[in-house]
Amino acid sequence: MDLARTFQDLLYGLGVAASPPNLMVAVVGLLLGTAIGVLPGLGGTNGVALLLPLTFHLNPTAAIILLSSVYWGAVFGGAITSILFRIPGEPWSVATMFDGYPLAKQGKPGVALTAAFTSSFLGGLVAIVLFTFFAPPLAELALKFGPPENFAFLLLAFATIAGLESGDPVKALLMTFLGLLLATVGFDIVSGSPRMTFGSVSLQSGVNFIIIAIGLFGLGEILLSVEERLQIEGMRARLSFREVWETWKLFPRYVWTLLRSSLLGFWIGVLPGTGATPASFMSYGIARQFSRRGSRFGTGEVEGVIAPETAAHAAGIGALLPMVTLGIPGSPTAAVMLAGFFIWGLNPGPLLFQENREFVWGLIGSMYLANVIGVLLVLTLVPAFAAIVRIPFAILAPLITILCSIGAYAVNNQVLDLWIMLGSGVAGYFFKKLGYPLAPLVVALVLGDMTEQAFRQSLIMGQGSPTIFFTRPIAAFFVVLAVLIFLLPFVRNRTRKVRGPAVPAEAPGAAGS
Amino acid sequence: MRRAELVFAAGLVVAGLVFLQEALRLPTGWTPSGPGPGFFPFWLATGFTLTGLVVLARTWKASHDPTKSFAPPGAWKRVLVVFLPMVGVVAFLHTLGIYLGGGLYLAAYARFVGRHRWPLVLAVSIGVPLVLFFVFERWFVMPLPKGTVLEWWLYGRR
Repeated sequence: MDLARTFQDLLYGLGVAASPPNLMVAVVGLLLGTAIGVLPGLGGTNGVALLLPLTFHLNPTAAIILLSSVYWGAVFGGAITSILFRIPGEPWSVATMFDGYPLAKQGKPGVALTAAFTSSFLGGLVAIVLFTFFAPPLAELALKFGPPENFAFLLLAFATIAGLESGDPVKALLMTFLGLLLATVGFDIVSGSPRMTFGSVSLQSGVNFIIIAIGLFGLGEILLSVEERLQIEGMRARLSFREVWETWKLFPRYVWTLLRSSLLGFWIGVLPGTGATPASFMSYGIARQFSRRGSRFGTGEVEGVIAPETAAHAAGIGALLPMVTLGIPGSPTAAVMLAGFFIWGLNPGPLLFQENREFVWGLIGSMYLANVIGVLLVLTLVPAFAAIVRIPFAILAPLITILCSIGAYAVNNQVLDLWIMLGSGVAGYFFKKLGYPLAPLVVALVLGDMTEQAFRQSLIMGQGSPTIFFTRPIAAFFVVLAVLIFLLPFVRNRTRKVRGPAVPAEAPGAAGS
Repeated sequence: MRRAELVFAAGLVVAGLVFLQEALRLPTGWTPSGPGPGFFPFWLATGFTLTGLVVLARTWKASHDPTKSFAPPGAWKRVLVVFLPMVGVVAFLHTLGIYLGGGLYLAAYARFVGRHRWPLVLAVSIGVPLVLFFVFERWFVMPLPKGTVLEWWLYGRR
């Protein structure tokens, strides 16, 4: 690994990110993202999906900085409503709520908020440093991948999504199939013939991923929130400098929790398809087992806020690592960003590091800057963001619905897309209600074309014999790993049936990340 | 809840069969240029249908739990009240456009569901489309459907 080169690139990237227009884009993204994180019914994934059409007119570097900053902002913002109102603004802040809300109830909302923001900042920082030094060698390794390795890795991606999903593995598999199927609609890449179009000319250009994502996440989420009828009762939020300082003095005690949660979060984020949500739950669970005060978790332990927040931000950053280096998103939000790559005219994958130095290193540089700016923004602006929650829902719900429609229309200027968006909104509502996970569907839909291409090229290489996936060592390793990971939940379910249910089901609404 | 799950799973199986039929219209085997265009869709549709059947069978075997209902009482109405007006806006997109249609939708929802006062209702339903108009038409130069009514008013009869 060429460290000197990496440092040079990093400095260059920081320079790109610090240029006034990019810096402004990052601040706008952070503010929007925090607002999106605060608002129930709008999350990181659908926030990014809604803003994606707006980035068509920006240059790719500014566009990715905007979208990633929205994501970081949403990570910070989700904690605010969890702690103050016991409404998780984001699925990954559900675990923050377990101890954050009791702390706030005990009259210490400042401690909980400061702990959440600071640990999110620290987790992000560790993850960004790891990202900086892991990305170049990983991209170099990925350059050596042929179609069989690519396909095997994609298989691994689908297996981890289905296998690590805390819900039903069969339904996760079903959703993966559905996503891949929808991706085949349109012209066939090899033969050029239209397929799966049911005779419709409009479908020949394919099912646009962004429109489906806006419907599933944006509209679907709104329909769910309307049904659950939110009741907001919360407390005033204001942070005094003394409170922040007092909380910071607690942090040296939790060095191990911080380090463990950052590494765990980063690793879970890197795994394809799993993002901040599982990372935060896992980190919380592990902290509860390791901590001497573990039995008091849930009653307002600072450590119970630190662990999930650290892991959530670290996972968010880790999720971008496979996206940038391999072209495979590490989380549903990253999947939506990846869809943007194609529209901005970029080819995601290892070649980005050679061909688009400004884009890649500008993104990495902006992660450092956005993390610092983000934590300062949320620490100072908490009261303003908490006030957003008071926007009446009867105005918010139609407003978000209208924004969903505009976002879907802007992609191709087609009215048909609006109908597809409305349809996916209804589908998303039913999927979520009936426990069909959305993450596998979204990731499979984005990766479908790539998967099929890699598969067909591999079979051509192997003259029609699938043994090619087993005779090449790297590919064989990935395939075996994928099968093992996929079987994991079935084995786990067996043992759980014997021992009785031990782990509580994931909290409602925790699907995207 | 069980009935909803059963109906939904059955719907997925039917959808799978439809996909399967569509995939079978293409060559699904080996062709001179490798696997045919129908190969991938065919096996995916097969996998989709089979997993759908597994879900269906499992739901069928599961016992009925009367305490679990699909949605809280009155929820259907609240969901439809958000959804149907949006369908209406899209259906009348050609005449009303997104700005007028969206404004009407906002006003109606804020007034009749939110029971907000008229000044707030008017401020929101006029302010939001105006902001959207300037953001999209001016700032991003991204023309959205304005609808025949607004076009006539803006540019006159052409």
